[in-house]
Amino acid sequence: MSYTEKHENISKDDWMARLESRHIARADMNKLIMNYLVTEGFKEAAEKFQQESGVAPSMELDSMDERIRIRDAIQSGRIQEATALVNQLHPELLDNDRYLYFHLQQLHLIELIRAGKIEEALHFAQEQLSEAGESDPNVLNELERTLALLAFEEPNKSPFSDLLHPTHRQKVASELNAAILKMENRDPTTPKLASLLKLIFWSQEELDKKKIKYPKMTDLAGAVIESPK
Amino acid sequence: MVTLMQPFMNVESSRSYIDELYSPDPEKCLQAIVCLKNSVIGSNRQKGHVISQGVVPRLLQLLGDTALPSQIKIEATITLGSLAKGTEEHVKALVELGVVPMLINGMKGKKIHPLFGLVSDDAKLIEASLCCLRTIFQVPCAPVDLIYQDENFTLHLLSLAPHSVSNQVCVTTILAAACKTVENQNLLCAQGAVQTLAALLCSPHYKVQMPSLMCLANMCHQNSNVSAVVATASFGGKSVPDLLVGLMARDKPSEMQMAAAKCVTYMHRAGAISAEDPKILYKTLPCLVRLCKKDQSCGERVTAAETLAYLTEVDTELQRLASISNHLVPTLAELLRYHPEPPIHPNQAAQKLEQEAKIAQDMKQAAFRAFASLGANDEDIRKKIIETDNLMDHIVSGLQDPSPKVRLAAVRCLHSLSRSVQQLRTTFQDHSVWRPLMQLLQGASDDILTMASSTLCNLLLEFSPSKEPILESGAVDLLCNLTRRKDPALRLNGIWALMNMAFQAEQKIKSQILDTLGTDQIFRLLSDPEVNVLMKTLGLLRNLLSTKPHIDQIMGRHGNQIMQAVVLILEGNHNAEVKEQALCILANIGDGESAKEYIMANEDVLKKLTDYMMHSNVKLQIAAIFCISNLVWREEPGASERQARLREMGVFKLLQQLIMTSDTLLFDKVKTAMTQFPEA
Repeated sequence: MSYTEKHENISKDDWMARLESRHIARADMNKLIMNYLVTEGFKEAAEKFQQESGVAPSMELDSMDERIRIRDAIQSGRIQEATALVNQLHPELLDNDRYLYFHLQQLHLIELIRAGKIEEALHFAQEQLSEAGESDPNVLNELERTLALLAFEEPNKSPFSDLLHPTHRQKVASELNAAILKMENRDPTTPKLASLLKLIFWSQEELDKKKIKYPKMTDLAGAVIESPK
Repeated sequence: MVTLMQPFMNVESSRSYIDELYSPDPEKCLQAIVCLKNSVIGSNRQKGHVISQGVVPRLLQLLGDTALPSQIKIEATITLGSLAKGTEEHVKALVELGVVPMLINGMKGKKIHPLFGLVSDDAKLIEASLCCLRTIFQVPCAPVDLIYQDENFTLHLLSLAPHSVSNQVCVTTILAAACKTVENQNLLCAQGAVQTLAALLCSPHYKVQMPSLMCLANMCHQNSNVSAVVATASFGGKSVPDLLVGLMARDKPSEMQMAAAKCVTYMHRAGAISAEDPKILYKTLPCLVRLCKKDQSCGERVTAAETLAYLTEVDTELQRLASISNHLVPTLAELLRYHPEPPIHPNQAAQKLEQEAKIAQDMKQAAFRAFASLGANDEDIRKKIIETDNLMDHIVSGLQDPSPKVRLAAVRCLHSLSRSVQQLRTTFQDHSVWRPLMQLLQGASDDILTMASSTLCNLLLEFSPSKEPILESGAVDLLCNLTRRKDPALRLNGIWALMNMAFQAEQKIKSQILDTLGTDQIFRLLSDPEVNVLMKTLGLLRNLLSTKPHIDQIMGRHGNQIMQAVVLILEGNHNAEVKEQALCILANIGDGESAKEYIMANEDVLKKLTDYMMHSNVKLQIAAIFCISNLVWREEPGASERQARLREMGVFKLLQQLIMTSDTLLFDKVKTAMTQFPEA
């Protein structure tokens, strides 16, 4: 006997009506947004948001400056500068987390490839990156994927083009950002909003596993909910 | 200031900034250090390269130069800290170059100004120095003793702790690594470390709590004084033991539960918390049992089982409770069956295999130790342990393990189980345990030898069927050699095993023991400073001198020496138990036929017997009278002459006096003796 046998499939309208009946306090929403801005290092937005909403940030906004400089440097491809900044801010971080260090170096390699500096890229990979690949098979794999970009006339159209996409920089920037927050003993290191969204995924997965039909959120950014099929 | 990493991609280009390190211009020098720092962070290859280029002495020189700006020293210290995060070889090199004393001296004069706090240069330098020292001290070869060269330095360290989370982590880690001897423990305790650590246990940061727990455990280990201080210390209105129990809760990370349980275990064994305390019974014990389970990592299971072994080692009630807790016995048995996972990547095969073999060894050792503790006293628990799947097979193969630690743990476990009479007759026999045990005894280290010979003692008990095969494999020589060892525990086990061996043994075996041991050695053992050795030697003589033909045969060959030995004991300054043994030997001699003459012909001994008949200690009276009644036993040839001789010495009169005794045991003996004499 399963749950679905007892219950009629719920319609989308009914579902939406039930969702509507839930009240979420505005102050809670604002706090979640502030938490997102602060954790991810959007200082100016946080300052503006503080003015407009009256929500106080959960940490000193000035302490975000270093993180913002580092994020900026990464997102604009100045990886070595970012690394030096990290070393200045938290000298032990990249020694403790060699995998993160590898990701920064990998990013630098990608920048060299993007700029077409093939020889320099090869040299850098040999001199600096091969070491990381020796000790960790995962690293070796990622390194091979990156170097494979060199084999293509137009790396942008290669199967590994994802590495050249701006989202890859963002991914590493977030990874680094989380590591810095952890180093500074700030928990949790990911925005609470992200956890809540993950919770939606998890709940839907659980429902899917049980083969329950329900109105499903198919697009997270647009909060699109589709009728059960 | 951001210095890019471009210039140091290879040896040739790195020359330039390494040259700059020696520049008299502080600004250039600083730039060079920052370059150097950025090159070594994250790369062991670069660290090795920089160390082999001889840059470290220059960094130390910069640290020692008081004229230089703090910024340079800070960056130099950070660079050294990064170098220390390389391989163990790198740390060794740093240690040999004298980095540790340099760091310590650098911190000595510095204080953290309460107003400027962490923003001051001194505070930054101290933080970097502590980080570097902490990293170095995490390597086993680190010269941790150096922090005690100046007694006040540890005090200084404790005063630096509160200023930042990083300092808390570093100071506690440094002290945990450096707390090795009783003197260290007492010094830190006297300097108030317990209070500091109690406060840090309440830190919201895991990375502070963990080294604080480690440090606390190291301070309490086998130190009753410090443990008592810790047991009564408190922070925020909660006693430290209560704080520790809080850290053992299931919602805490398992490493933390483990570390807290270890602290409480050490405090219990050091006498600061009793075995009946609910914190032990209902918190620490179940916590350790839980941490032995499959869902924990191998390393944690090993530590949990080892700690559990230590917790339960001496207390029967804890052993009993543990053995019925949460399927502990089968859980421990799982540790013996650990099968390493095959390596995933061919590059790592050799290294991985080595690691896995080490893990398997650690797991076996931990399981054997825990079983040894659990089975130390209780027959039911032993039975439960032995009935676990193939346990004996595991022990037998453990006795032959290539790792000496596993062999020792296995023999400890075997020793514990060998206290069971029933198991000696069954399981021990079925598995021919004596065979690997005898093998183990050949040329083993002292600690293994002590355990193995003690186990052999139990195997040689009369009722043990293993006795015969053990004898045939050269046990007599081996045991006689043990009685000549310097370590009293080994001498005791040797003579004890011989005593057990001689009990109700055949004539052939007895002669072999006597011939191999030699009367000279017996005399030596009778004057052994260890009273237990002496007792077992007398016990051996008693066992040798039993059944008439054996008594006569042995007395025929060694009568004079044995009588001499007995007199030696009776005249010596010994306790009643020892003298009782000597009198019992006389009684046995009196039970022989021709042997009786050795006593009858010895006026001195007869006199002593009559004296002991009237001794204040009733046990000695009984032993003496037992001997008398053997001498005057009426059915034996020559009985009437002996009776007449003893009557002449006033023995019968003494017996008549003694028959009035209220002691029933003594009364029986006296009566038996009197009835041997014809009615007067």
